[in-house]
Amino acid sequence: MVAVVLPSLLATQAGGRKRFEVDAATVESALRGLPIADLLFDDDGALRPLVNVYVDGADVRYADGLSTPVSGGQTVRVVTAVAGG
Amino acid sequence: MSSTLLVGTRKGLFVIRDGGVEGPLLQGWEVFHAIASGGVLYAAANHFVYGAIVQRSEDGGATWERSEPIEGLKRAWHVEPAGDGALYLGGDPGCLFRSGDGGRTWEPNTAIAEHPTRERWQPGAGGLCCHSIQVLPDALYVAISAAGAFRSDDGGETWTPINKEVAADFLPEKYPEVGQCVHKLLAHPGRPGRLWQQNHCGTYRSDDRGESWERLDGNGLPSSFGFGIALDPADPDVAYVFPEQADEYRVAAEGRLAVWRTGDAGASWAPYGDGLPAPAWAGVLREGMSFDADGVYFGTQSGSVFVTRDGGWHEAASQLPAIYSVEAAEL
Repeated sequence: MVAVVLPSLLATQAGGRKRFEVDAATVESALRGLPIADLLFDDDGALRPLVNVYVDGADVRYADGLSTPVSGGQTVRVVTAVAGG
Repeated sequence: MSSTLLVGTRKGLFVIRDGGVEGPLLQGWEVFHAIASGGVLYAAANHFVYGAIVQRSEDGGATWERSEPIEGLKRAWHVEPAGDGALYLGGDPGCLFRSGDGGRTWEPNTAIAEHPTRERWQPGAGGLCCHSIQVLPDALYVAISAAGAFRSDDGGETWTPINKEVAADFLPEKYPEVGQCVHKLLAHPGRPGRLWQQNHCGTYRSDDRGESWERLDGNGLPSSFGFGIALDPADPDVAYVFPEQADEYRVAAEGRLAVWRTGDAGASWAPYGDGLPAPAWAGVLREGMSFDADGVYFGTQSGSVFVTRDGGWHEAASQLPAIYSVEAAEL
């Protein structure tokens, strides 16, 4: 199983649950199964621009994006980009 | 004050009732507008990362359910009940949606989306926002900044611009068919055909469903500019506005927090009531005024909510986040 960890606001929207254990082979399948998936993806099905996703600390944008493979024991962390001072 | 007030802010939703302030609900969301209908709370909720959505609560705000994703919606501005569980949603970019299932799913109004005048619409400072929706037995009305006001006589199948004699001073053609920057449009619930609008370029009243408009701000208001407007359900000749310095400044006119009232359909205006602080340089946004049979209410961008039943103003809340909307509700 792959762990998915959400930031505070998304956890609230997920009914107060911050951590999910999912059976997934890619980052996209791990995220699509979440109850807050609608907040992560835009109308075109792409990850919203200010949503960052890390697998074991590595930004998936520098790997294969949503196609980045995941396997049991790994942690997918959703992090909201913070801009400004 | 018997009403509950729903106060949408930049940092969530607050509820004022029985002299107390509850919240924030929907913390982290910008609540552009919230309203109650049939015991359900609806919030036009926006987030700079997670997008625009309608949130609904059947338990007074303890828990919330998101609508299905609303394709094409950049920002949710206004939710308007239409009876029998139906609702309308106005938003950016100049879009109108209808829900027939209590706000769970939303269908776009294609006649607005494909309106033949659309290429002449342009966004105002708040975007190309559909912010006013009025549901009357004989017509639907919407207002969009900066496209103007529109009326539908066929349930939303077609929309007629109703902007004759309404100024658009910022355009080369001062009185175009469309392109006016309406800031808020309301229909009086008891006088068929009577509309009021606070516009970027004046305060107006129509007595013929928008076929013609009479400009009223020259009748004593300190400014032609403002956003919110409130009415009296028992008296169609009464209206309240919050004049602001136009249009680069957008704070209380004359440095004075003042609601101005007309009791003669706009033929004259006078400051309404006592108890508002001065000097004051706060602003009130387009959804920031509300009314019901009991009183008049407004909220400022500096986080204060003022209420009155009889002209004596009382600060019901202060130090809230910037207030986007105030709506009187029966819960």
